Amino acid sequence: MKNKHGVLLVLMIFTLIAAVSACTKKNVPPPPGYGGPEQYGQGGAAGPGGMDDAKWRELGINSEAEKREFLERAKAFENQDVYFDYDAYTLTDPAKKVLDEKMAFLKRFPKVQVTIEGHCDERGTTEYNLALGERRAHAAQQYIASSGLSNLKLTTVSYGKERPIATGHDEASFAKNRRAHFVLTY
Amino acid sequence: MFLALIFLGFTQTVSAVVELPPISPSAIQRIPIAVPDFKYMSPEQTQLAREMSEVLSNDLNLSGVFRPLDPKGFLENPQAIGLEASEIKFQDWSKQGADFLARCSYQVQGNAMRLDGRLLDVTGRKLVGGKSYTGDLRAWRPMVHAFADDIMMMVTGERGVFDTKIAYVQTVGSAKEIFYCDFDGSNPVQVTRDNNIALSPSWSPDQSQIAYVSYRDGKPKVYGFNVSNNSNYLISGFPGLNITPAWRPGKNELAITLTKDGGQDIYLVSPNGQVLQKLGAGSGSSISVSPDWSPDGKKFAYVSNEPGNPQIYIFDVTTGQKKRLTFSGKYNTSPSWSPKGDWIAYAAGDGGEFNIHIIKPDGSQDRSLTSGGRNEGPCWSPDGRMIAYSSTKQGGPAIRIMYSNGTGDWQLTRQSGAQELPDWSPRKNRQ
Repeated sequence: MKNKHGVLLVLMIFTLIAAVSACTKKNVPPPPGYGGPEQYGQGGAAGPGGMDDAKWRELGINSEAEKREFLERAKAFENQDVYFDYDAYTLTDPAKKVLDEKMAFLKRFPKVQVTIEGHCDERGTTEYNLALGERRAHAAQQYIASSGLSNLKLTTVSYGKERPIATGHDEASFAKNRRAHFVLTY
Repeated sequence: MFLALIFLGFTQTVSAVVELPPISPSAIQRIPIAVPDFKYMSPEQTQLAREMSEVLSNDLNLSGVFRPLDPKGFLENPQAIGLEASEIKFQDWSKQGADFLARCSYQVQGNAMRLDGRLLDVTGRKLVGGKSYTGDLRAWRPMVHAFADDIMMMVTGERGVFDTKIAYVQTVGSAKEIFYCDFDGSNPVQVTRDNNIALSPSWSPDQSQIAYVSYRDGKPKVYGFNVSNNSNYLISGFPGLNITPAWRPGKNELAITLTKDGGQDIYLVSPNGQVLQKLGAGSGSSISVSPDWSPDGKKFAYVSNEPGNPQIYIFDVTTGQKKRLTFSGKYNTSPSWSPKGDWIAYAAGDGGEFNIHIIKPDGSQDRSLTSGGRNEGPCWSPDGRMIAYSSTKQGGPAIRIMYSNGTGDWQLTRQSGAQELPDWSPRKNRQ
């Protein structure tokens, strides 16, 4: 009788270990085209989006509803870029509008880590574009910082013209590349 | 160090036989020189007789000073041509149109080689001078380059640049890595293997290190590469930008653009990452990038957009004063100060095209050296007589070299993919 209990106990422990290790996943931002929390549909430690409980707690997010709201709004936050005129890093009115929307998200979820990337179109020279990209990211960061939102984890990185999102050689592609792009880490 | 120099003990006159003309629009008059196959003193590595003479001929041709004669027209069997002045049939060389004769012999013993080079003045019918080089057989190329440098010294009063290297950025798949090659395009060596974006190589004044920018850590940081032991190390990794490093002549420090204090400015940084001085070239939220030092290390040219678009400025480190250099055109970047101090090259953009311009440090005599396509990233040879740059002239872009008056112009790099952002090393410190 004792042995049987012993074996059962061991089996239970193994099952538990297996369940826990299967649910601990690396935290990566959801890939583009992420369809929503329905795809994951598991309860327990994993939860929507493949994030574990510890990460959600770091963000100060607890309820399932909050988690879903975060994931949906995070996608929109990352997908909408701030655009700039040629050889410029002043914020246009449309640019400010986009930043205002991003600030609403950051006000709601202030503990998230944000990297602002600065990019350029292909027409200028390589090194000058590294500097210009930085000024674009910096302009976006300054706008957010000066709006009163403090204690945000904002960093910038410039890619110059090295990582274009549009590969055409026309004004439409150039315009898409003159941008500040926001990336969330959570 | 596998190269040793020995004076052979015969007469050597080291004085300028020819004065090089200054930069002018017309072509430089070249000196005809005969470079027959080298004479092998023992039947070992006899194929090097032709190979070495071709490397020497190529060097002398690329210098822009000499016009090597076609060896097919030479009357004598190259192995039979004498070595000493008394053995040379000067009239025959005169008839073939040579002003000078480069007569070399070599001896291979095991893994070692000795090369004896002699320069003969055909018109004067005498020996100008000679030198001996010994070392590892595998170092035959540097030995030939050393003799080419010495020929330049004997004829023009200044050493050639044939032992120099040119560093550049090479695309490798979707990545960009740093490479360097010999002055004549041979022996490409890979410096980075970060499988990311590496940019802006910059040689140290003693040819021992290459500083560069890499995104291997996810953000642009400045690293150094030690050429002799093939090791890479971090130089500057502050938050924000660490870009466009420029090693300062005569000092062990670099000028680097940083944004760690909020604004963009150029800082003096030691090779182990210590910030020595914030120079104050930037102002407000302006861009300050791409410093390039004057040969005395007291000033540098750089790019600022204070006027509303990128222009070249000069910053004086002693006084802390800046002065605008370029006033024509709306997009001027990538300055490079000649090691002779007398010209500053830069890339001038105009409606999608870029051309290499040179301008005097006082702002006068601005002129374009190229025409058409994208010609960018100029850098000077140590003798100030040539400019390497990247060009889309034949696809690429690839690295090309031209003389400082815009003539010449040949392609240096022939690998597939794209090459850009060249930097020309100084000469090695050698007698």
